[in-house]
Amino acid sequence: MLAVICLLGGLLSASLVRFSPGYGMDERELDPRLSQASVEAIRNSHRLNAGLFSYYGHYLAHAVHGDFGSSEWLQRPISSLIKERLPVTAESVLGGVSLAWLFALTLSLAGVFFRGLYFDISTTLFSAVLIALPAAVVAIFSVYLRTPVFVAIAVVTFPKLFRYLHNLLNHAYAQPYILAARARGISQAKILFHHVLPLASPALFALLGVSLAVAFGAAIPIEALCDSPGVGQLAWQAALNRDLPLIMNLTLLVTLITVAANMLASIAHERVL
Amino acid sequence: MNARNVRLICAVPLCAIFAAGLFAGTISPYPYAKQFRERPNAAPSSTHLLGTDSLGRDLFTRLIYGTRVSLLLAPAAALLATLLAGILGGLAGLTGGWSEKLILAATDLSTALPLLFVLLALRALLPLDISPVLSVIATFTLLGLLGWPSSLRVVWAATRNLRNSDFLLLARATGCSRWRIIVRHLFPNLRPVLFAQFWISIPVFVLTEATLSMLGLGVIEPLPSWGNLLRGLEDISAVSANPWRLTPLVLLILVVICFQLILPAQEETA
Repeated sequence: MLAVICLLGGLLSASLVRFSPGYGMDERELDPRLSQASVEAIRNSHRLNAGLFSYYGHYLAHAVHGDFGSSEWLQRPISSLIKERLPVTAESVLGGVSLAWLFALTLSLAGVFFRGLYFDISTTLFSAVLIALPAAVVAIFSVYLRTPVFVAIAVVTFPKLFRYLHNLLNHAYAQPYILAARARGISQAKILFHHVLPLASPALFALLGVSLAVAFGAAIPIEALCDSPGVGQLAWQAALNRDLPLIMNLTLLVTLITVAANMLASIAHERVL
Repeated sequence: MNARNVRLICAVPLCAIFAAGLFAGTISPYPYAKQFRERPNAAPSSTHLLGTDSLGRDLFTRLIYGTRVSLLLAPAAALLATLLAGILGGLAGLTGGWSEKLILAATDLSTALPLLFVLLALRALLPLDISPVLSVIATFTLLGLLGWPSSLRVVWAATRNLRNSDFLLLARATGCSRWRIIVRHLFPNLRPVLFAQFWISIPVFVLTEATLSMLGLGVIEPLPSWGNLLRGLEDISAVSANPWRLTPLVLLILVVICFQLILPAQEETA
Protein backbone atom coordinates (compact mmCIF):
# COMPACT_ATOMS: atom_id res chain seq x y z
CA MET A 1 0.00 0.00 0.00
CA LEU A 2 2.73 2.40 1.04
CA ALA A 3 4.74 1.53 -2.07
CA VAL A 4 1.72 2.03 -4.34
CA ILE A 5 1.01 5.45 -2.86
CA CYS A 6 4.71 6.33 -3.22
CA LEU A 7 4.77 5.37 -6.89
CA LEU A 8 1.42 6.97 -7.76
CA GLY A 9 2.17 10.16 -5.87
CA GLY A 10 5.58 10.29 -7.49
CA LEU A 11 4.08 9.91 -10.95
CA LEU A 12 1.52 12.60 -10.21
CA SER A 13 4.11 15.06 -8.97
CA ALA A 14 6.50 14.18 -11.81
CA SER A 15 3.81 14.90 -14.40
CA LEU A 16 2.98 18.23 -12.74
CA VAL A 17 6.63 19.26 -12.77
CA ARG A 18 7.16 17.99 -16.31
CA PHE A 19 4.15 19.81 -17.77
CA SER A 20 4.52 23.04 -15.81
CA PRO A 21 5.13 26.10 -17.99
CA GLY A 22 8.81 26.80 -18.46
CA TYR A 23 10.02 23.26 -17.86
CA GLY A 24 13.33 22.44 -19.54
CA MET A 25 14.46 26.05 -19.77
CA ASP A 26 17.80 26.68 -18.24
CA GLU A 27 19.12 30.13 -17.40
CA ARG A 28 22.65 28.90 -18.03
CA GLU A 29 21.85 28.84 -21.75
CA LEU A 30 21.89 32.65 -21.68
CA ASP A 31 25.34 32.85 -20.11
CA PRO A 32 27.61 34.46 -22.76
CA ARG A 33 30.70 32.84 -21.27
CA LEU A 34 29.53 29.37 -22.29
CA SER A 35 30.60 28.06 -25.69
CA GLN A 36 28.12 26.73 -28.22
CA ALA A 37 29.20 23.18 -27.35
CA SER A 38 28.43 23.63 -23.63
CA VAL A 39 24.99 25.10 -24.38
CA GLU A 40 24.34 22.15 -26.67
CA ALA A 41 25.38 19.78 -23.86
CA ILE A 42 22.98 21.45 -21.41
CA ARG A 43 20.14 21.20 -23.93
CA ASN A 44 20.93 17.55 -24.56
CA SER A 45 20.84 16.73 -20.86
CA HIS A 46 17.29 18.10 -20.76
CA ARG A 47 16.25 16.41 -23.97
CA LEU A 48 17.14 13.01 -22.54
CA ASN A 49 14.29 13.33 -20.06
CA ALA A 50 11.75 15.00 -22.27
CA GLY A 51 9.06 12.30 -22.14
CA LEU A 52 6.97 11.96 -18.97
CA PHE A 53 7.88 8.35 -18.30
CA SER A 54 11.56 8.73 -19.01
CA TYR A 55 11.53 11.78 -16.73
CA TYR A 56 9.74 9.78 -14.06
CA GLY A 57 12.10 6.82 -14.45
CA HIS A 58 15.03 9.19 -14.13
CA TYR A 59 13.50 10.74 -11.01
CA LEU A 60 12.84 7.32 -9.42
CA ALA A 61 16.30 6.01 -10.22
CA HIS A 62 17.81 8.99 -8.47
CA ALA A 63 15.29 8.98 -5.62
CA VAL A 64 16.23 5.47 -4.50
CA HIS A 65 19.77 6.77 -4.08
CA GLY A 66 18.51 9.59 -1.92
CA ASP A 67 18.79 12.23 -4.66
CA PHE A 68 15.48 14.08 -5.16
CA GLY A 69 16.84 16.59 -7.64
CA SER A 70 17.57 20.16 -6.72
CA SER A 71 15.50 23.20 -5.91
CA GLU A 72 15.20 25.68 -8.79
CA TRP A 73 14.88 28.63 -6.48
CA LEU A 74 17.58 27.92 -3.88
CA GLN A 75 19.87 26.02 -6.27
CA ARG A 76 20.47 23.42 -3.59
CA PRO A 77 19.82 19.65 -3.43
CA ILE A 78 16.33 19.01 -2.08
CA SER A 79 17.53 16.17 0.14
CA SER A 80 19.87 18.47 2.07
CA LEU A 81 17.11 21.08 2.44
CA ILE A 82 14.79 18.41 3.86
CA LYS A 83 17.47 17.09 6.18
CA GLU A 84 17.93 20.60 7.51
CA ARG A 85 14.25 21.50 7.88
CA LEU A 86 12.47 18.29 8.79
CA PRO A 87 13.72 18.01 12.41
CA VAL A 88 12.31 21.49 13.19
CA THR A 89 8.86 20.61 11.86
CA ALA A 90 8.93 17.11 13.33
CA GLU A 91 9.60 18.55 16.76
CA SER A 92 6.84 21.16 16.64
CA VAL A 93 4.30 18.83 15.01
CA LEU A 94 4.94 16.01 17.48
CA GLY A 95 4.84 18.43 20.39
CA GLY A 96 1.66 20.04 19.08
CA VAL A 97 -0.12 16.74 18.43
CA SER A 98 0.80 15.37 21.87
CA LEU A 99 -0.38 18.52 23.61
CA ALA A 100 -3.63 18.54 21.62
CA TRP A 101 -4.28 14.87 22.43
CA LEU A 102 -3.54 15.45 26.09
CA PHE A 103 -6.03 18.30 26.31
CA ALA A 104 -8.69 16.77 24.09
CA LEU A 105 -8.61 13.40 25.83
CA THR A 106 -8.60 14.93 29.31
CA LEU A 107 -11.47 17.29 28.56
CA SER A 108 -13.65 14.74 26.79
CA LEU A 109 -13.00 12.08 29.46
CA ALA A 110 -13.83 14.63 32.14
CA GLY A 111 -17.00 15.48 30.24
CA VAL A 112 -18.11 11.85 30.28
CA PHE A 113 -16.96 11.36 33.87
CA PHE A 114 -18.76 14.31 35.44
CA ARG A 115 -21.64 14.52 32.95
CA GLY A 116 -22.35 18.13 33.93
CA LEU A 117 -24.45 20.19 31.54
CA TYR A 118 -22.52 23.41 32.10
CA PHE A 119 -19.16 21.69 31.74
CA ASP A 120 -20.37 20.18 28.49
CA ILE A 121 -21.69 23.46 27.09
CA SER A 122 -18.59 25.44 28.07
CA THR A 123 -16.10 22.96 26.58
CA THR A 124 -18.17 22.65 23.40
CA LEU A 125 -18.36 26.43 23.04
CA PHE A 126 -14.64 26.76 23.73
CA SER A 127 -13.76 24.28 21.00
CA ALA A 128 -16.31 25.83 18.61
CA VAL A 129 -14.60 29.21 18.93
CA LEU A 130 -11.17 27.63 18.42
CA ILE A 131 -12.36 25.71 15.36
CA ALA A 132 -13.61 28.96 13.85
CA LEU A 133 -10.12 30.52 13.97
CA PRO A 134 -8.14 30.14 10.73
CA ALA A 135 -4.70 28.62 11.34
CA ALA A 136 -3.04 31.82 10.15
CA VAL A 137 -4.87 33.89 12.80
CA VAL A 138 -3.72 31.45 15.49
CA ALA A 139 -0.19 31.95 14.16
CA ILE A 140 -0.49 35.74 14.47
CA PHE A 141 -1.79 35.47 18.03
CA SER A 142 1.07 33.15 18.90
CA VAL A 143 3.49 35.78 17.58
CA TYR A 144 1.77 38.41 19.77
CA LEU A 145 1.91 36.21 22.84
CA ARG A 146 5.36 34.79 22.04
CA THR A 147 4.27 31.20 22.53
CA PRO A 148 6.36 28.37 21.04
CA VAL A 149 5.33 27.07 17.60
CA PHE A 150 4.11 23.72 18.92
CA VAL A 151 1.52 25.45 21.11
CA ALA A 152 0.02 27.14 18.04
CA ILE A 153 -0.13 23.79 16.25
CA ALA A 154 -1.81 22.28 19.31
CA VAL A 155 -4.39 25.08 19.33
CA VAL A 156 -5.28 24.34 15.71
CA THR A 157 -5.37 20.56 16.16
CA PHE A 158 -7.16 20.45 19.52
CA PRO A 159 -10.70 21.53 18.56
CA LYS A 160 -10.94 19.08 15.66
CA LEU A 161 -9.71 16.26 17.87
CA PHE A 162 -11.92 17.26 20.76
CA ARG A 163 -15.06 17.26 18.66
CA TYR A 164 -14.44 13.71 17.43
CA LEU A 165 -13.42 12.42 20.85
CA HIS A 166 -16.38 14.05 22.55
CA ASN A 167 -18.88 12.48 20.14
CA LEU A 168 -17.08 9.15 20.20
CA LEU A 169 -17.00 8.83 23.98
CA ASN A 170 -20.56 10.06 24.39
CA HIS A 171 -21.74 7.57 21.79
CA ALA A 172 -19.88 4.77 23.57
CA TYR A 173 -21.31 5.89 26.91
CA ALA A 174 -24.87 5.77 25.55
CA GLN A 175 -24.68 2.02 24.85
CA PRO A 176 -27.20 -0.09 26.79
CA TYR A 177 -24.56 -2.21 28.53
CA ILE A 178 -23.10 0.92 30.11
CA LEU A 179 -26.52 1.59 31.62
CA ALA A 180 -26.55 -2.00 32.88
CA ALA A 181 -23.09 -1.54 34.40
CA ARG A 182 -24.19 1.67 36.11
CA ALA A 183 -27.30 -0.05 37.44
CA ARG A 184 -25.08 -2.67 39.04
CA GLY A 185 -23.25 0.06 40.89
CA ILE A 186 -19.90 -0.25 39.13
CA SER A 187 -17.77 2.82 39.76
CA GLN A 188 -17.70 5.57 37.16
CA ALA A 189 -13.92 5.29 36.67
CA LYS A 190 -14.13 1.57 36.09
CA ILE A 191 -16.93 2.03 33.54
CA LEU A 192 -14.86 4.64 31.76
CA PHE A 193 -11.62 2.68 31.52
CA HIS A 194 -13.00 -0.85 31.20
CA HIS A 195 -16.09 -0.34 29.06
CA VAL A 196 -16.13 3.02 27.31
CA LEU A 197 -12.51 3.40 26.18
CA PRO A 198 -12.08 -0.13 24.75
CA LEU A 199 -15.23 0.35 22.67
CA ALA A 200 -13.93 3.62 21.27
CA SER A 201 -10.34 2.45 20.80
CA PRO A 202 -10.41 1.55 17.07
CA ALA A 203 -11.60 5.04 16.22
CA LEU A 204 -9.05 6.54 18.63
CA PHE A 205 -6.20 4.80 16.81
CA ALA A 206 -7.58 5.92 13.45
CA LEU A 207 -7.66 9.50 14.76
CA LEU A 208 -3.93 9.41 15.48
CA GLY A 209 -3.06 9.50 11.79
CA VAL A 210 -5.73 12.10 11.02
CA SER A 211 -4.48 14.42 13.75
CA LEU A 212 -0.96 14.19 12.31
CA ALA A 213 -2.25 15.22 8.86
CA VAL A 214 -4.11 18.17 10.41
CA ALA A 215 -0.99 19.23 12.30
CA PHE A 216 1.19 19.12 9.18
CA GLY A 217 -1.38 21.22 7.32
CA ALA A 218 -1.39 23.73 10.17
CA ALA A 219 2.41 23.82 10.12
CA ILE A 220 2.43 25.75 6.81
CA PRO A 221 0.76 28.99 7.92
CA ILE A 222 2.13 28.77 11.45
CA GLU A 223 5.75 28.27 10.44
CA ALA A 224 5.40 30.85 7.68
CA LEU A 225 4.05 33.57 9.98
CA CYS A 226 6.05 32.64 13.11
CA ASP A 227 9.25 32.43 11.06
CA SER A 228 10.11 28.92 12.20
CA PRO A 229 12.53 27.38 9.67
CA GLY A 230 10.70 24.11 9.04
CA VAL A 231 9.24 22.18 6.13
CA GLY A 232 5.97 24.14 6.21
CA GLN A 233 7.76 27.45 5.78
CA LEU A 234 9.86 25.94 2.99
CA ALA A 235 6.69 24.80 1.17
CA TRP A 236 5.22 28.29 1.46
CA GLN A 237 8.37 29.94 0.12
CA ALA A 238 8.57 27.35 -2.65
CA ALA A 239 4.98 28.18 -3.66
CA LEU A 240 5.72 31.92 -3.67
CA ASN A 241 8.81 31.32 -5.81
CA ARG A 242 7.12 28.79 -8.09
CA ASP A 243 9.67 26.12 -7.22
CA LEU A 244 7.65 23.09 -8.30
CA PRO A 245 10.20 20.29 -7.82
CA LEU A 246 10.73 21.40 -4.23
CA ILE A 247 7.06 21.71 -3.27
CA MET A 248 6.18 18.43 -4.99
CA ASN A 249 8.85 16.55 -3.07
CA LEU A 250 7.73 18.18 0.19
CA THR A 251 4.10 17.20 -0.46
CA LEU A 252 5.18 13.65 -1.20
CA LEU A 253 7.26 13.54 1.97
CA VAL A 254 4.41 14.75 4.20
CA THR A 255 1.99 12.34 2.52
CA LEU A 256 4.36 9.45 3.16
CA ILE A 257 4.70 10.44 6.81
CA THR A 258 0.93 10.59 7.36
CA VAL A 259 0.29 7.34 5.50
CA ALA A 260 3.06 5.62 7.44
CA ALA A 261 1.62 6.97 10.71
CA ASN A 262 -1.82 5.64 9.75
CA MET A 263 -0.39 2.21 9.04
CA LEU A 264 1.62 2.19 12.26
CA ALA A 265 -1.51 3.14 14.17
CA SER A 266 -3.51 0.30 12.65
CA ILE A 267 -0.69 -2.19 13.28
CA ALA A 268 -0.35 -0.97 16.87
CA HIS A 269 -4.09 -1.37 17.32
CA GLU A 270 -4.01 -4.98 16.09
CA ARG A 271 -1.16 -5.78 18.46
CA VAL A 272 -2.72 -4.15 21.50
CA LEU A 273 -6.19 -5.64 21.16
CA MET B 1 -33.88 26.08 24.61
CA ASN B 2 -34.50 23.39 22.05
CA ALA B 3 -32.63 22.70 18.83
CA ARG B 4 -35.19 24.53 16.72
CA ASN B 5 -34.70 27.78 18.62
CA VAL B 6 -30.90 27.49 18.37
CA ARG B 7 -31.28 27.02 14.63
CA LEU B 8 -33.51 30.06 14.39
CA ILE B 9 -31.14 32.21 16.43
CA CYS B 10 -28.23 31.17 14.22
CA ALA B 11 -30.14 31.67 10.99
CA VAL B 12 -30.93 35.33 11.69
CA PRO B 13 -27.33 36.68 11.76
CA LEU B 14 -26.34 34.40 8.88
CA CYS B 15 -29.16 35.71 6.69
CA ALA B 16 -28.34 39.29 7.66
CA ILE B 17 -24.65 38.84 6.82
CA PHE B 18 -25.50 37.12 3.54
CA ALA B 19 -27.87 39.93 2.59
CA ALA B 20 -25.25 42.55 3.47
CA GLY B 21 -22.76 40.81 1.20
CA LEU B 22 -25.28 40.46 -1.59
CA PHE B 23 -26.26 44.13 -1.54
CA ALA B 24 -22.74 45.39 -0.83
CA GLY B 25 -23.00 47.99 -3.58
CA THR B 26 -26.02 49.74 -2.05
CA ILE B 27 -25.02 49.44 1.62
CA SER B 28 -21.44 50.62 1.46
CA PRO B 29 -20.86 54.33 0.96
CA TYR B 30 -17.59 54.09 -1.05
CA PRO B 31 -15.96 51.86 -3.70
CA TYR B 32 -13.82 49.19 -1.99
CA ALA B 33 -10.51 50.37 -3.44
CA LYS B 34 -11.03 54.12 -2.83
CA GLN B 35 -8.24 55.65 -0.78
CA PHE B 36 -8.59 58.57 1.60
CA ARG B 37 -4.93 59.43 1.54
CA GLU B 38 -5.22 62.22 4.10
CA ARG B 39 -6.50 59.88 6.83
CA PRO B 40 -4.84 56.46 6.97
CA ASN B 41 -5.40 54.36 10.12
CA ALA B 42 -8.32 56.60 11.13
CA ALA B 43 -10.45 55.75 14.17
CA PRO B 44 -14.14 54.97 13.71
CA SER B 45 -16.25 58.05 12.97
CA SER B 46 -19.54 58.92 11.28
CA THR B 47 -17.86 59.03 7.85
CA HIS B 48 -15.91 55.80 8.38
CA LEU B 49 -17.92 53.44 10.58
CA LEU B 50 -15.01 51.11 11.33
CA GLY B 51 -12.20 53.53 10.55
CA THR B 52 -9.71 53.15 7.71
CA ASP B 53 -6.81 50.77 7.06
CA SER B 54 -3.15 51.69 6.68
CA LEU B 55 -3.76 52.68 3.04
CA GLY B 56 -6.67 54.91 4.02
CA ARG B 57 -9.41 52.66 2.64
CA ASP B 58 -12.76 52.50 4.42
CA LEU B 59 -12.79 49.32 6.51
CA PHE B 60 -16.58 48.99 6.67
CA THR B 61 -16.82 49.04 2.87
CA ARG B 62 -14.02 46.51 2.53
CA LEU B 63 -15.62 44.28 5.12
CA ILE B 64 -18.93 44.20 3.26
CA TYR B 65 -17.33 43.58 -0.13
CA GLY B 66 -15.08 40.95 1.49
CA THR B 67 -18.19 39.26 2.87
CA ARG B 68 -19.57 39.13 -0.64
CA VAL B 69 -16.43 37.45 -1.98
CA SER B 70 -16.06 34.96 0.87
CA LEU B 71 -19.69 34.12 1.53
CA LEU B 72 -20.84 33.85 -2.05
CA LEU B 73 -17.93 31.91 -3.42
CA ALA B 74 -17.42 29.46 -0.55
CA PRO B 75 -20.90 27.97 -1.17
CA ALA B 76 -20.09 27.84 -4.88
CA ALA B 77 -16.91 25.89 -4.14
CA ALA B 78 -18.85 23.69 -1.70
CA LEU B 79 -21.41 23.02 -4.43
CA LEU B 80 -18.66 21.95 -6.82
CA ALA B 81 -17.07 19.69 -4.20
CA THR B 82 -20.42 18.14 -3.25
CA LEU B 83 -21.30 17.62 -6.90
CA LEU B 84 -18.03 15.80 -7.50
CA ALA B 85 -18.47 13.75 -4.32
CA GLY B 86 -22.08 12.98 -5.26
CA ILE B 87 -21.30 11.83 -8.79
CA LEU B 88 -18.21 9.80 -7.89
CA GLY B 89 -19.62 8.47 -4.60
CA GLY B 90 -22.94 7.59 -6.21
CA LEU B 91 -21.16 5.84 -9.07
CA ALA B 92 -18.96 3.88 -6.67
CA GLY B 93 -21.83 2.91 -4.40
CA LEU B 94 -24.23 2.01 -7.20
CA THR B 95 -22.03 0.10 -9.60
CA GLY B 96 -19.64 -1.65 -7.24
CA GLY B 97 -16.92 -3.82 -8.75
CA TRP B 98 -13.66 -2.42 -10.03
CA SER B 99 -14.92 1.14 -10.51
CA GLU B 100 -15.85 1.23 -6.81
CA LYS B 101 -12.40 -0.04 -5.86
CA LEU B 102 -10.73 2.49 -8.14
CA ILE B 103 -12.71 5.45 -6.86
CA LEU B 104 -12.21 4.48 -3.21
CA ALA B 105 -8.48 4.01 -3.76
CA ALA B 106 -8.30 7.46 -5.35
CA THR B 107 -10.20 8.85 -2.36
CA ASP B 108 -7.83 7.21 0.10
CA LEU B 109 -4.89 8.66 -1.76
CA SER B 110 -6.45 12.14 -1.76
CA THR B 111 -7.33 12.05 1.92
CA ALA B 112 -3.75 11.10 2.73
CA LEU B 113 -2.54 14.24 0.96
CA PRO B 114 -2.56 17.23 3.29
CA LEU B 115 -4.99 19.67 1.65
CA LEU B 116 -2.94 22.80 2.25
CA PHE B 117 0.24 21.32 0.73
CA VAL B 118 -1.62 20.30 -2.43
CA LEU B 119 -3.32 23.69 -2.63
CA LEU B 120 0.05 25.41 -2.41
CA ALA B 121 1.50 23.13 -5.08
CA LEU B 122 -1.35 23.73 -7.51
CA ARG B 123 -1.40 27.44 -6.76
CA ALA B 124 2.33 27.50 -7.53
CA LEU B 125 1.55 26.07 -10.97
CA LEU B 126 -0.55 29.14 -11.78
CA PRO B 127 1.15 32.46 -12.27
CA LEU B 128 1.15 34.68 -9.18
CA ASP B 129 0.56 37.98 -10.98
CA ILE B 130 -2.95 37.24 -12.21
CA SER B 131 -5.77 39.75 -11.93
CA PRO B 132 -7.67 39.90 -8.60
CA VAL B 133 -10.88 38.50 -10.08
CA LEU B 134 -9.00 35.57 -11.62
CA SER B 135 -7.28 34.96 -8.28
CA VAL B 136 -10.68 34.64 -6.59
CA ILE B 137 -11.91 32.20 -9.22
CA ALA B 138 -8.68 30.20 -9.10
CA THR B 139 -8.71 29.99 -5.30
CA PHE B 140 -12.29 28.81 -4.96
CA THR B 141 -12.14 26.47 -7.97
CA LEU B 142 -9.09 24.80 -6.45
CA LEU B 143 -10.92 24.49 -3.12
CA GLY B 144 -13.91 22.95 -4.86
CA LEU B 145 -11.81 20.57 -6.92
CA LEU B 146 -9.81 19.38 -3.91
CA GLY B 147 -12.50 19.35 -1.23
CA TRP B 148 -14.48 16.28 -2.30
CA PRO B 149 -12.68 13.28 -0.72
CA SER B 150 -14.10 13.65 2.79
CA SER B 151 -17.67 13.93 1.46
CA LEU B 152 -17.25 11.05 -0.96
CA ARG B 153 -16.96 8.38 1.71
CA VAL B 154 -20.23 9.48 3.30
CA VAL B 155 -22.09 9.58 -0.01
CA TRP B 156 -20.62 6.22 -0.99
CA ALA B 157 -21.72 4.59 2.27
CA ALA B 158 -25.24 6.02 1.94
CA THR B 159 -25.54 4.88 -1.69
CA ARG B 160 -24.31 1.40 -0.86
CA ASN B 161 -26.94 1.08 1.85
CA LEU B 162 -29.58 2.19 -0.62
CA ARG B 163 -28.37 -0.26 -3.25
CA ASN B 164 -29.04 -3.14 -0.90
CA SER B 165 -32.45 -1.77 0.15
CA ASP B 166 -35.70 -3.55 -0.58
CA PHE B 167 -37.39 -0.73 -2.44
CA LEU B 168 -34.59 -0.53 -4.99
CA LEU B 169 -34.84 -4.27 -5.51
CA LEU B 170 -38.56 -3.85 -6.06
CA ALA B 171 -37.99 -0.98 -8.46
CA ARG B 172 -35.50 -3.06 -10.40
CA ALA B 173 -37.87 -6.03 -10.41
CA THR B 174 -40.68 -3.94 -11.89
CA GLY B 175 -38.38 -2.99 -14.74
CA CYS B 176 -37.50 0.60 -13.86
CA SER B 177 -34.86 2.00 -16.17
CA ARG B 178 -31.47 2.91 -14.70
CA TRP B 179 -32.12 6.64 -15.07
CA ARG B 180 -35.50 6.41 -13.40
CA ILE B 181 -33.96 4.56 -10.47
CA ILE B 182 -31.29 7.21 -10.09
CA VAL B 183 -33.55 10.24 -10.50
CA ARG B 184 -36.73 9.05 -8.75
CA HIS B 185 -35.47 6.63 -6.12
CA LEU B 186 -31.82 7.23 -5.37
CA PHE B 187 -31.45 10.99 -5.54
CA PRO B 188 -34.37 11.93 -3.21
CA ASN B 189 -32.92 9.59 -0.59
CA LEU B 190 -29.42 10.98 -0.99
CA ARG B 191 -30.53 14.61 -0.89
CA PRO B 192 -30.23 15.07 2.91
CA VAL B 193 -26.77 13.51 2.92
CA LEU B 194 -25.62 15.71 0.05
CA PHE B 195 -27.10 18.78 1.69
CA ALA B 196 -25.32 18.02 4.98
CA GLN B 197 -22.00 17.57 3.15
CA PHE B 198 -22.55 20.82 1.27
CA TRP B 199 -23.26 22.61 4.53
CA ILE B 200 -20.22 21.15 6.30
CA SER B 201 -17.90 22.16 3.44
CA ILE B 202 -18.81 25.87 3.49
CA PRO B 203 -17.11 26.88 6.77
CA VAL B 204 -14.11 24.68 5.93
CA PHE B 205 -13.66 26.54 2.64
CA VAL B 206 -14.19 29.94 4.25
CA LEU B 207 -11.42 29.15 6.75
CA THR B 208 -9.06 27.71 4.14
CA GLU B 209 -9.53 30.76 1.92
CA ALA B 210 -8.72 32.97 4.90
CA THR B 211 -5.48 31.09 5.58
CA LEU B 212 -4.47 31.06 1.90
CA SER B 213 -5.14 34.77 1.47
CA MET B 214 -3.24 35.58 4.65
CA LEU B 215 -0.25 33.74 3.18
CA GLY B 216 -0.50 35.83 0.01
CA LEU B 217 -1.58 32.89 -2.15
CA GLY B 218 -5.34 33.42 -2.23
CA VAL B 219 -7.38 36.45 -3.20
CA ILE B 220 -5.14 39.25 -4.41
CA GLU B 221 -5.43 42.92 -3.35
CA PRO B 222 -7.15 45.31 -3.94
CA LEU B 223 -10.12 42.92 -4.01
CA PRO B 224 -11.11 42.35 -0.37
CA SER B 225 -11.91 38.97 1.15
CA TRP B 226 -12.03 37.94 4.79
CA GLY B 227 -8.54 36.46 4.47
CA ASN B 228 -7.18 39.69 3.02
CA LEU B 229 -8.81 41.75 5.74
CA LEU B 230 -7.37 39.50 8.44
CA ARG B 231 -3.93 40.34 7.13
CA GLY B 232 -4.45 43.65 8.89
CA LEU B 233 -4.06 41.81 12.19
CA GLU B 234 -0.35 41.37 11.53
CA ASP B 235 0.15 45.00 12.50
CA ILE B 236 -0.20 44.80 16.27
CA SER B 237 0.23 48.53 16.95
CA ALA B 238 -2.65 49.37 14.59
CA VAL B 239 -4.87 46.72 16.17
CA SER B 240 -4.23 47.91 19.70
CA ALA B 241 -4.84 51.51 18.63
CA ASN B 242 -8.08 50.62 16.87
CA PRO B 243 -9.67 47.40 18.22
CA TRP B 244 -12.40 47.73 15.58
CA ARG B 245 -9.92 46.15 13.23
CA LEU B 246 -10.84 42.85 14.84
CA THR B 247 -14.34 43.04 13.32
CA PRO B 248 -13.51 40.76 10.34
CA LEU B 249 -12.26 38.12 12.77
CA VAL B 250 -15.38 38.42 14.95
CA LEU B 251 -17.58 38.16 11.86
CA LEU B 252 -15.68 35.11 10.65
CA ILE B 253 -15.98 33.35 14.02
CA LEU B 254 -19.68 34.21 14.23
CA VAL B 255 -20.42 32.84 10.76
CA VAL B 256 -18.45 29.62 11.25
CA ILE B 257 -20.10 28.95 14.62
CA CYS B 258 -23.57 29.64 13.17
CA PHE B 259 -22.88 27.20 10.32
CA GLN B 260 -21.80 24.57 12.84
CA LEU B 261 -24.81 25.03 15.11
CA ILE B 262 -27.33 24.87 12.28
CA LEU B 263 -25.96 21.64 10.89
CA PRO B 264 -26.98 18.99 13.47
CA ALA B 265 -30.57 20.11 13.13
CA GLN B 266 -30.40 19.48 9.40
CA GLU B 267 -29.14 15.99 10.04
CA GLU B 268 -31.96 15.29 12.46
CA THR B 269 -34.64 16.31 10.01
CA ALA B 270 -33.03 14.23 7.30
